[in-house]
Amino acid sequence: MDVSQYLEIFIDETKEHLQNLSDQLMVLEQEPENMDVINEIFRAAHSLKGMAGTMGFKRMQRLTHDMENVFQEIRSENMKVESELIDVLFRALDALEAYLNEIMETANEGTEENEEIVNTLNSIAAKATGKEVPEGAAKTTESAKEGTSADSGAGGEAKYQSISISDFEKHTFEKAQNDNQNIFGITVYLQESCILKAARAFLVFKALEELGEVIKAVPSVQDIEDEKFEMDFSLLYFTKESLEAVKNAIESVSEVKQAVVGIYTVPDLHTSDSAADKPETKPEEPEAKQPAAKAPAAAQQAVKKQEAKPAQKAAAQKNAQQKTAKPTVGRTVRVDIEKLDVLMNLVSELIIAKNGIVSTSSADEESRLNSALNEQIEYLESVTTNLHESVMKVRMVPIESVVNRFPRMIRDLTKKLGKKMELHMSGEETELDRTVIDEIGDPLQHLLRNSADHGLESNEERIALGKDEIGHIYLDAYQDGNNVNIEVRDDGAGINVEKVRNKAIEKGTITPEQAEAMTDKEIIDLLFRPSFSTAEQITDVSGRGVGLDVVKTKIEGLGGNIECKTEMGEGSSFIIRLPLTLAIIQALMVELGTEKYAIPLGNIQTIEDIPFSEVKHVQTKEVINLRDAVIPLIRLDKILDVEPGEFKPESLTVVIVSKGDKQAGLVVDNLIGQQEIVIKSIGDYINCSKLIGGATILGDGEIALILEVNTLV
Amino acid sequence: MDDINDVQNVEVASEGKQYIVVHLGSEQYGIDIKYIDNIVRMSKITRIPMSQKYFKGVINLRGEIIPVMSLRLKFDLAPDEYTNATRIIIIKLESQSAIGIIVDEVKEVVTLDEASIEKPNSADANDIRMQYLSGVGKHVDGLITLLNISSVINDKEKEMI
Repeated sequence: MDVSQYLEIFIDETKEHLQNLSDQLMVLEQEPENMDVINEIFRAAHSLKGMAGTMGFKRMQRLTHDMENVFQEIRSENMKVESELIDVLFRALDALEAYLNEIMETANEGTEENEEIVNTLNSIAAKATGKEVPEGAAKTTESAKEGTSADSGAGGEAKYQSISISDFEKHTFEKAQNDNQNIFGITVYLQESCILKAARAFLVFKALEELGEVIKAVPSVQDIEDEKFEMDFSLLYFTKESLEAVKNAIESVSEVKQAVVGIYTVPDLHTSDSAADKPETKPEEPEAKQPAAKAPAAAQQAVKKQEAKPAQKAAAQKNAQQKTAKPTVGRTVRVDIEKLDVLMNLVSELIIAKNGIVSTSSADEESRLNSALNEQIEYLESVTTNLHESVMKVRMVPIESVVNRFPRMIRDLTKKLGKKMELHMSGEETELDRTVIDEIGDPLQHLLRNSADHGLESNEERIALGKDEIGHIYLDAYQDGNNVNIEVRDDGAGINVEKVRNKAIEKGTITPEQAEAMTDKEIIDLLFRPSFSTAEQITDVSGRGVGLDVVKTKIEGLGGNIECKTEMGEGSSFIIRLPLTLAIIQALMVELGTEKYAIPLGNIQTIEDIPFSEVKHVQTKEVINLRDAVIPLIRLDKILDVEPGEFKPESLTVVIVSKGDKQAGLVVDNLIGQQEIVIKSIGDYINCSKLIGGATILGDGEIALILEVNTLV
Repeated sequence: MDDINDVQNVEVASEGKQYIVVHLGSEQYGIDIKYIDNIVRMSKITRIPMSQKYFKGVINLRGEIIPVMSLRLKFDLAPDEYTNATRIIIIKLESQSAIGIIVDEVKEVVTLDEASIEKPNSADANDIRMQYLSGVGKHVDGLITLLNISSVINDKEKEMI
C-alpha cells in the first residue's frame, strides 16, 4: 500500500491544523490560563504528529512530538505559559509550515532539522518536570495513557469472535498452536474523526507484522486498502509476543480509538465446517423465498442449517446490518476545480440554449399565444437561473481561508516594527469565487503591511497626537450588490497629498504644471503607478516601490478595481471591489449602428435621455451636467469605429457608468434590454485593445461583444 | 527511395500526406489535413473593433466563439467577395484554440508524396509571403502552394495596430 495517494489530503489537513494552531496560539498569548485552548493546541499538535508519522515525515513528526510534550506538561500544570514559550511555538509553527511547503513542492520534507527549536522545546519541557524526559519513555507513557483513556470510553465489541475460518486456515491454526504461538483475535476501532482510514489500517498492519503474522482480516485486506470498511476491522493474528505488547503496538498508531485484543479459541471441526458453509448458505436464501415448489429440498435444508447455528448466524447478520445501516457519510467532497469549470461551461451552454428558446418564442406570433409553452419557458428560466446559482455557490469559498493568516502576520509585525497594533476583521464569511480567492491573498497582505508600516504612526507619536496608543487596522469584507468589497483601513496618519505631489514632480512622473491642475484624488491615484513609493525609509516590511501598482494590476486582472481614500491625521483606506462571479453576468444590451454590445449591469448607474442642447464642451471634450455632476461623454460609435446608423435622433441615449468614483456617459444608439449573458473569451489571436472584455452568444446565435467599462472610463 | 533522401528536411511520412486544396483567387493552396477541424459555410461574422485588419471578427460555431481571419487580406490580395462557395476552414493546432480562415472555395483532397513536394527555395526567404509556405506540391491539376499553417495563424510580424 502506498501512502502517496494521501499526500493531497495530508497537505490540506496539515494546513488546517497549522492554521488552527496559529489561531489558538494567538488566543493563548492573550489568555495564558485558558485550559480549553491548551487542550485544543495539544490535540492539534497530536493530530499533526500522527499524520506526519503516517506519511513518513520523521522530522515533522519529531517537532510536533516535542510541541505536544510541552503542552502535556502545561496540561498537567507542571508549568505555565510564558511569552518566551509562545515565541518558540510560533517559530516551531513556521518551521512546520516550511516543511509543508517543501512537501508541497517536492513531496519530501527536506532535511532541515530545526535542531534549535527542538532543543529549546525539550529544555522547556525538561525544566518543567525537573528531569530529562527520554523520548521513548514519553512515547510509551503517552500511548499507554491514550490506551487507558480509550478503554474508559465507549466499550468496543470484540467483533473478531465472529470471524469465520476455513478448513485450510484451521490447519494453520493447529500448526501455530504446536509452535507455541499465541493466537489473538483483534478488533481495531478507529476514531470517528479519522479520515485516512486505510492509511491508519495500513500502519496497524505494519506494526503487527513486525511482531507476528496476520492470518485473516475482516473485511478483506483488499477492502481495507480500498477503505471499504466502517470505523473498525477485525483480525486473526499469530504472535509470540504478549497480549499487552500487541495491544500497545496497535494503539500507538494515532487515531486508533481502541484495540480489543483477546485469545482466539480455534473452533472445533464441526463449527469450523459450518462456518465454512456459510457463504454457500447465503446465496440459497433468496432462492428459498421463491416459490417453494421450485426447490423445496434446498429451502428446507437452508432453514435447517439456519436453525442449526442460530447464534453464529445472528452474529453475522448483526454484522451485516451494521454495515448496511451505517453507510459512510462524506461530509464534504473535494472536487477538482477543472471539473467545476466543465460543469460551469455546461450551465452556460444551457443558458444560451434557453435564451434561444425565449427569443424564438417571443418572435413567433403563434407561440406567443400559447400560454402553456410560455409557462414552460418561464419554468425553464427559473430552473436554469437556480442551477447557475447553485454551481456558482459550489465554486464560492469564504474569504476566511485567505484572511485567517493575517492576525499572525500583524502580531509578527508588532514585534518587528515595535509598534503596538491590532487587527480587526469582519465579514470573513463573505464568499468569493475560488479563482479570485487564490489570487487575492498577496494584494491584501501587501495592503496590510503598508498600513502597519507606513499608515500607522509610532506609539509615541500617537500618544503625542492624543490618539489611542495602539494602532488599529481594519479588514472588512462585505457584499455589495454583484460585487464583494474588501476594505483595508487604518487609523494612522493618512497620506500626505502634498508629499506625494512633490515626490511625483521630483521623480518626473508629472510636471509642476500638471501637478497644479490635479485634484487630491488624482494625486493619490499616482500611488498606483509603477515604481512610486513615498516611504522615506525603505524597510523590509514594505516600501520597495513595487507595491501598489502590482496590487492594482492583480486586482484588475481579476476584473475588479481598487481605490484609496485618505484623510490627513485620520487614516487611509483602500477599497477593493471584486466581481462576485466571473462567468455569467447580468448585462444591458445596447445597439450601435447595426452592432450589438453588452454593458455589464454592475457598472451601470443610470440611463439618461439627454437633449443635444445640454451637451457642453470643456477643453474640446463633450460633457454633460447631470444632477450637479459633470460627466464626460464617450461616443462609443467613434471609439469602436462603428458605421453610423441612418436615423438621427433628436436626443442622446446615455448610459451612465461608473468605476469607483469616476463616472462617464456612454452614448449609444439604442437600448435593447437587460439579459443574463455568458462571458466567453475571444481568444488570444486577436489583439483588440482592452476595450472588449469578451463576447457572448445571444439567443438567436448572434455574437455580442462585451464592453470593458473599466478601460473605457 | 533514394530520391526522397535527396530532398532536404525529409518529413517522416513516406506514404505521402493529405492536403485539402483551396482556391484563393487564381491560386491553389494546400492545407495539411491533420490540422483541419472542420469546414463550415460562411456565417455571420461579428466585427471586433480595433483588431488586426486581416481579422474579420468572430463567429459562433455551435456555442464556441471562433476568431476568423481572411487569408486574402493576410496575403495582400483583393478583399473577399463572399459567394456560395466561400468557406471557413476551422484550424485546430495542438494546444492552441481554434481559429477560422476564409477561403474562396474548397476544391478537393489530394495526397502528395514527398517526391512531388518541392521545398521552398531558401533564396526566396526574404519574401514575407514565403514564410507562410512549407513547399510547393506538383499535382495533375498544376502546382499547389502548401501552407505552413502554424506561421499563418501565429503571426510574428508587426502588423498589429
